[in-house]
Amino acid sequence: MSTILEQKCPCCGGAVEFDVGVQRLKCPYCDTEFDITAMPEDTANQVEQVNWNSQGSQWGAGETDGMNVYACNSCGGEIVADSTTGATACPYCGNQVVMKGQFSGALKPDLVIPFKLDKKAAKEALKKHISTKKFVPKSFLSDNRLEEIKGVYVPHWLFTCDAVGNANYKAKKVRKWSDENYNYTETSYFDVYRSGNIGFDNIPVDGSTKMPDDLMESVEPFDLSQAVDFNTAYLAGYLADKYDVTAEDSMPRANERIRQSIDDAFKETVKGYDDVESQSVSMNVANGIYKYALYPVWLLNTSWNGEKFTFAMNGQTGKFVGNIPTDKKAVTKASLLLGAGIGAVIYGLMWLIELL
Amino acid sequence: MKKLLSIALVLFICLSSIISASAFTYQHVIDYADKLASSELEELDAVAGNLENTYGIAVLFCITEGTGDVTADEFASGTYYEYTDNENGLIIVHDDWNKTYSVFVSGSAGEALTDAAVDSMTDAYDLNESYYDGIYACYELAEEYLENGYSGGYVDKTETETVFAETTGEVKEKDGVAFFWLPVSLVIGLLVGFLIINAIASKNKSVRMQENATVYTRPGSMAITGGADNFLYKNLDRTEKPKQTQKK
Repeated sequence: MSTILEQKCPCCGGAVEFDVGVQRLKCPYCDTEFDITAMPEDTANQVEQVNWNSQGSQWGAGETDGMNVYACNSCGGEIVADSTTGATACPYCGNQVVMKGQFSGALKPDLVIPFKLDKKAAKEALKKHISTKKFVPKSFLSDNRLEEIKGVYVPHWLFTCDAVGNANYKAKKVRKWSDENYNYTETSYFDVYRSGNIGFDNIPVDGSTKMPDDLMESVEPFDLSQAVDFNTAYLAGYLADKYDVTAEDSMPRANERIRQSIDDAFKETVKGYDDVESQSVSMNVANGIYKYALYPVWLLNTSWNGEKFTFAMNGQTGKFVGNIPTDKKAVTKASLLLGAGIGAVIYGLMWLIELL
Repeated sequence: MKKLLSIALVLFICLSSIISASAFTYQHVIDYADKLASSELEELDAVAGNLENTYGIAVLFCITEGTGDVTADEFASGTYYEYTDNENGLIIVHDDWNKTYSVFVSGSAGEALTDAAVDSMTDAYDLNESYYDGIYACYELAEEYLENGYSGGYVDKTETETVFAETTGEVKEKDGVAFFWLPVSLVIGLLVGFLIINAIASKNKSVRMQENATVYTRPGSMAITGGADNFLYKNLDRTEKPKQTQKK
């Protein structure tokens, strides 16, 4: 058994949760509010070593690989979680618990951005997201069922560096003129080179294999100016994972984005040409540092026709993303109708021009 | 037998001289298709001759049935230079077999007898049932256009149509848009429609990796420290402008 940590109300003993409205801890039973700082982790939170012996069958060798077993401090129920789970709820009493060992020592996040938007806002955003899209199957609108909604603190690595880059471009200029007998087109080709440096602050890379990388990058950006020093109290009421992708393994993705940014930024300085094409970009990173942070994300799972759909909302800014199925028949029908209309207009305009 | 041979030889020489004489005499109207009587040829040639004397522009009309091994344009230019050495002029060749027109314009003739003017002339030719009347109407219009052109007015499409209506008493019918363009328009429309609808439908997919980290660039941190723009080479493409117009 591992250690778990609960945020208990000093007044009634109920499990407190982080309230996004007041940005403080709040007891859902007696409505008492507490400052995060008023509940220091080592003193206010009860940390217990739980050593229950199972009376049932024992886990076989290797069966518990990749998972941890915890005991709920409130009801004694057994909480089985995978090795990366950092905060969850007891499946028996719903009590919110934080797996202390997942965020201690070297695993302690440097920063956390607290949730600013609650579950209600996430539900409304989902409704708005679906209703504003076109060519959504009608049955998806009526039969789509929200199966699960959860607020998750997703581990991210934040990379800060000064990048020095060199980029080569192939550019061309086109000049056209004509005389009495001929039309001329002169195309001049140039090799363009640029070097320079750009600073980047806190480029996030998803540190959890459980979260789809494209989903996490789609809800960017987060406003890191609102981040605070990590405190387990912020996790109360939410799920949280510890990273299972190391900073070293996340660096290639950060480098890839930096390289593309250098390419885009330097390309902007290549002016006076009719076409500019990237040939190569090389870069060196200096003063590179990284931080470990937890970002707030609402995850919403829905199902339709036996298929699962996952949506995500930035728990700080409200940016909502998620792929929605497209009614292919409706798309084909609309394409044909619009195409026929445009075709008729083109033909009509040709007649009009001819008659005038 | 000798008598018969000598009579045949005399007849051949006489016929040859008549043919060459007619080709030599009627320099402005060339009738390879034998559609005009000699008197008609003489009369029309006289009208064209007057035009050339007055305005200095040679206006030739040729009726043929096919252009042999050469293209219609080559046939028109070859016939023009065969019958006149006037550098300013034009020839309208009507291929009576294929029902097509080809036009060759030389020198300053195009300033007064513009494409629109030549269009009207061939339309006037088509309106008349007889070849003689058609060519005559054609020359009447040519005179109007040349006079207009020499008085300083540029003969544009609208003006040529007005002159056409005044001279022939006919209102030029609009050609309209060929039916061929209807499926072409529909294909273009469908392509555009498909692109628009798919662009709208693609908004249903909002999950994608970020391309860059531009949003995380430190404000004011970018500095270009070196750069060069080196010329490599250049290509020159030359395409000939279309000069002659083939008319139906």
